[in-house]
This record gives sequence, C-alpha cells and structure tokens, in this order.
Amino acid sequence: MIHDSVIRPQLVTGDKTLHDVTTEICRPIENKPTTSWTVGFILSVIFLGLLLLSLGVTLAYGIGTWGLNKSVQWGWDITNFVFWVGIGHAGTLISAILLLFRQKWRMSINRSAEAMTIFAVMCAAIFPLFHMGRIWVGGYWVFPLPNAFGSLWVNFHSPLLWDVFAISTYFSVSLVFWYLGLIPDIATVRDRAKTAGRKFWYNFFSMGWTGSVRTWNRYEVVSLVLAGISTPLVLSVHTIVSMDFATSVVPGWHTTIFPPYFVAGAIFSGFGMVLTLLVIARKVMNYQDFITIGHLEAMCKVVMLTGTMVGLAYITEFFVAAYSGVEYEQYAFINRATGPYWWAYWSMMTCNLIAPQVFWFKWARTTPWFIFMLSIVVNVGMWFERFVIIVTSLHREYLPAGWVMYSPTLTEIGIFLGTFGLFFTCFFLFSKFLPVINMAEVKGILKNRE
Amino acid sequence: MIDKKLYLDNNKTVMFGIFEDPDKFLHTVAQVNQNGANILDCYTPFPIHGIEKAMGLKRSLLPVGAFMSGCLGFITAATIQLYMMHFDWPMVIGNKPTIGVSYVPVLFEMSVLFTAFGMAFMFFVRSKMIHGKLPQERIDFRQTDDRMVVAIATDGPSVNKSELSNMLFNGGAVEVKERTNHGYEDFTDVDITKGSNINASANH
Repeated sequence: MIHDSVIRPQLVTGDKTLHDVTTEICRPIENKPTTSWTVGFILSVIFLGLLLLSLGVTLAYGIGTWGLNKSVQWGWDITNFVFWVGIGHAGTLISAILLLFRQKWRMSINRSAEAMTIFAVMCAAIFPLFHMGRIWVGGYWVFPLPNAFGSLWVNFHSPLLWDVFAISTYFSVSLVFWYLGLIPDIATVRDRAKTAGRKFWYNFFSMGWTGSVRTWNRYEVVSLVLAGISTPLVLSVHTIVSMDFATSVVPGWHTTIFPPYFVAGAIFSGFGMVLTLLVIARKVMNYQDFITIGHLEAMCKVVMLTGTMVGLAYITEFFVAAYSGVEYEQYAFINRATGPYWWAYWSMMTCNLIAPQVFWFKWARTTPWFIFMLSIVVNVGMWFERFVIIVTSLHREYLPAGWVMYSPTLTEIGIFLGTFGLFFTCFFLFSKFLPVINMAEVKGILKNRE
Repeated sequence: MIDKKLYLDNNKTVMFGIFEDPDKFLHTVAQVNQNGANILDCYTPFPIHGIEKAMGLKRSLLPVGAFMSGCLGFITAATIQLYMMHFDWPMVIGNKPTIGVSYVPVLFEMSVLFTAFGMAFMFFVRSKMIHGKLPQERIDFRQTDDRMVVAIATDGPSVNKSELSNMLFNGGAVEVKERTNHGYEDFTDVDITKGSNINASANH
C-alpha cells in the first residue's frame, strides 16, 4: 500500500519532480567536466602514475625494494591491504544490510558506496598480489590450477587461500550487484543521449532495458536475494581477513575476538571513507537535496557506534591478554602501548575510540566541514589500527634475537600513495560517466512512499 | 519458458496509456485489470510497489534458480576440495585431518559466488537482456525518466476501445494512443511525436 508518511522527514528535499531527479543527477554526465573535476582527475592520474612506477620498481628489482625484513615480513603492504579491504565494506553494508532492514536513506548513497567498494577492493588486491613476488606465476599459488610441479594443489586449510576466495567472490558479487543497480539508470541516460557515441555506449550497457514491470518484478527479487547473500558475504570477508592473523601463533594476533572486531572496524572505516567522499561530492556536484544533512547524520551515528565497538575490542584484547597469564601475549600488548611504536598505538586509540565520541553532539553530526575532518581522522586511525596489529606484533616476537624495527621504503610509500591515485581516478571517471545517485530508487522515495 | 505475451509485436493492436503520476497510474492499472482487459505490460521509470499485484503478475521463480545455483556452487567447492586435499594429494598439516571445518569458508564463498552469478545470468536470460540490444518496447522516450506506460491488447471483438480510452483518461492518463498495423492512432489531441503539451511538473 502506498501512502505518504507525515511523521518522517523527507528523504529527498527541494520538492522535486521525477523529471527534476533525472535532470539533476544526469547533469554531470551530460555537461562538460567542471574545473574542479578536471583538476582532481589530473591529480589522481599523477598519483596513479606513481603507483605504476612503484610497482614497476617492485617487479624489476623484487620485493627487496620494500622495507620488509627477517622479522617483519608483513609491513605496509598487508597494512594497506587490510585498510583498503575494510574501506570496501561500507558499500555492500549500505546496499545489502540496509536494504534488508528497509532503511530508505540508503538509496541516495548506495551507488557511490558500492562504487567505492569495488575501487577499494581493486586497490587492496594489489598488495597481496605483488607481495607474492613473481606475480606472473602467481596464478598457481592462489588458484587450484594443475601445475608443472606434479599434482600439488593449493592448501585449502590455509586462511590465506580462504582470503583469495573471499576477496575475489566479494569483488565479483559487488560488481554484479553494482552493475544490476546501474542498468535502469544507464537506460535513462541512453534515452536522453544526444551524441552518437553516447547513444551507442549507454545502449550497449543498458541491455535493452525498457522499464517493463515484468522485468522490474524480477529485478526486485534479484536485488533482494543478492542483498540476502551479500549480507553474510560482507561479514565473512573481513572475518576471513581477520583469520589470516587469528589462526597464527603470533602473540597479539591469535585472539578469538578478531573476527567481530575486524568486521566492526571495517564498517567503521568504510563509513569513514564514504563520509569523506560524499561530504565533498554533495557540495561539488550540488547534490545537497539528495544527500541531505539527515544522511550525513545517520552515517555519523554508525561511525560512532562502530568506533565504540572497535574501542571496546581494543580494551578487551588487553583484558584477555592479562587474564590469559601468557607472558608473551601480555608482553605483546604492553609493547604496543608503551614500546617503540607507542605513537602508532595512541594515534589509533585517539582517532578510533575517542574522536568519534564527539558525534554524541548533534552539532557535530550535522556540520559538514566538521564531519569531513572527523572522517579523515577515522581513516587515519583505521590505517594505524592495521599498522599496530601487524608491525608491533611482528617486530618483537618470541626470540629477542629477531627483534627489529621496521620502516617503509620510498617504494612502499609510493605504492600506498599510488593506490589513492587509482582509487580516485576510478571514482572521478565513475562520477563523470555514470549516475552517482541511483535515480530509479530515489524516484521511488520522492514523496516518502512506503 | 518465455512468455509469448511479452512480445508486444505479436499482438496486432495495442493501446498505450501514458501517465505522469505514479499513484493515479497504479490505481488505473488495477481498475483496468479488474475490468478484464488484457494488460500486456507496463513500463515505469522506477519500481512501483504493488503494481505487480494490480497487473495480476505471479511472483518470480528466480529464487528457486538462485538456490539451485548456490547448491551447484556448494557441490563444486566440496568436490574440488575433497579431490585435491583428500584423494589426489592428501595434505597433512600439523597432523590434522584432511577433511575438516577448514573447508567451510571456501564452501560458503563458492555457494555465494554461484548464487549471485547464476541468478544474474538467469535474470538476463529470462528478461531477454543482452549487451547492445535495442530497447524494443520504447513507447515514450520519457518512460525511463518520468512517465509510466500501460500497454493493453485491443484485439478481438469484445474490446470496447472508446470505453478503455475513457477509463485511461479518467484515471489520469496524459496521452492515449493505439498501435495498429497502419501505425499509431492517437486518442489525444496532442501530437505525440513532439511530446506532450502538459507541463511535466503540474501533476507532482
């Protein structure tokens, strides 16, 4: 039954008609690129060049060009991998879990969050792939392919292999979900297209979509089922990433709290990045009526909740280490907080646990520039979380003879900065060629239809 | 498997009612359907909930296909893991059994992967969608923007066309036209090739 809610505030403001939605969301696609878009895109491409250069150096000289050493075999590479995978979680969370919970505010932001997911997972994949060294023979190491060394297969007991399956499934399912959601909107752009090139390409990708109710009917079923399976998928992905650590015997890693703690952290960092992007995008693309302060506020609440969960996990880890009576475990945590990497630990605590508490205040949740600053703090904090877990645990393991300090090389820094280039290049292209907001879904909530 | 009624070209004459208000559209479609008209399809720029009931559509069987794809993924993952880890080259690590809970993550991921791809594939096949296909039933360029179209078969002696067009107009249609073997016959005073003279935002 359709009715207008009189209690809830409008999800889309500005009293828009269906045609207004189409015109406003298609505007960046149909107009010439703006100066801010061009400048941003060129900057991103420069950083993308840095990525290619750094990866080229890695391939030419081997991963000896990274600062990894005999004790810290995982440094910035896996830190960045987990950082990007975590960011990639918000997209599916917003589109799948919020769809199951019938949270209609997701509709203005799910498209860009899903795009972010896909680009973030692409950035993430670079790190473990290049860490393998000879990436051109890597197929044998990560996929169960018959190989030249006899019938020796990949090890299905290893969480690292589970990770290969989890990340590649996550990437491909997210891509399918994203593309399916795009088809009706691509058809809208197609039907408005003026140039031959645009007509051809949007027609090619719209797959003959006409908006038939029979197709919509199936489409809705597909969306619901995809959301249903994506929900456990998104939870499983970071659970499995956490098992890379949790199933090892490294003090500071083998804790049973890791799966839920990593999932909360992923949602936290994902929403942090969504806020970073959308606070800018809504302003630059003039989408304030679609991505309202209400949307930002709702996301800030999620950030505050998950930040607190992550903070609770940090404290619980300390308690469990103390309670376990295992001196190696206890030392790992004392070393985290007071050892040579104390600054990383306390950056993490400040950014992830303390900083998001300002969102208890309504002013903080409803002031875009402040939200933007806080979202950067969250991103930094979550990067430090992964750095703390990986580097502080590895640099002082069981044998003091193997204790080392780790610092990144220029190549590692180049790859990390370069992944931002890849991420933003993809995002700028996406915002130029595809509708950043899901027009079809937004049209359905114009009058608070329920 | 494919419903022949989906092809609008198979029907000699089809009447199209074009609407600009989703609520009026939904109400009229339900009314037309109750009066026994043969609604071929409707075209809307966004999913209007309840219209499938108003049109008398059945629930899609795609979830069954999705479940079967998921099962196929599960079986594939189980077969691969059992064959590789247990039969072909038993890999004993830490004296742990070669069959165990460590199979679960890959079983789960493969089931999800197959479900998603199987379902998407079946959706495209069932909806006859393929890359590069031209939109065949595009009655109005704005049916993907802000207009809703209902397509009603008007063959046969029992169909009273003027009553049907009146019903559509009274329900709030901004245009009613009929496609016959000779082309379009317009029931409105508006020249359809040049678009409607009605202000698009007037009804919202």
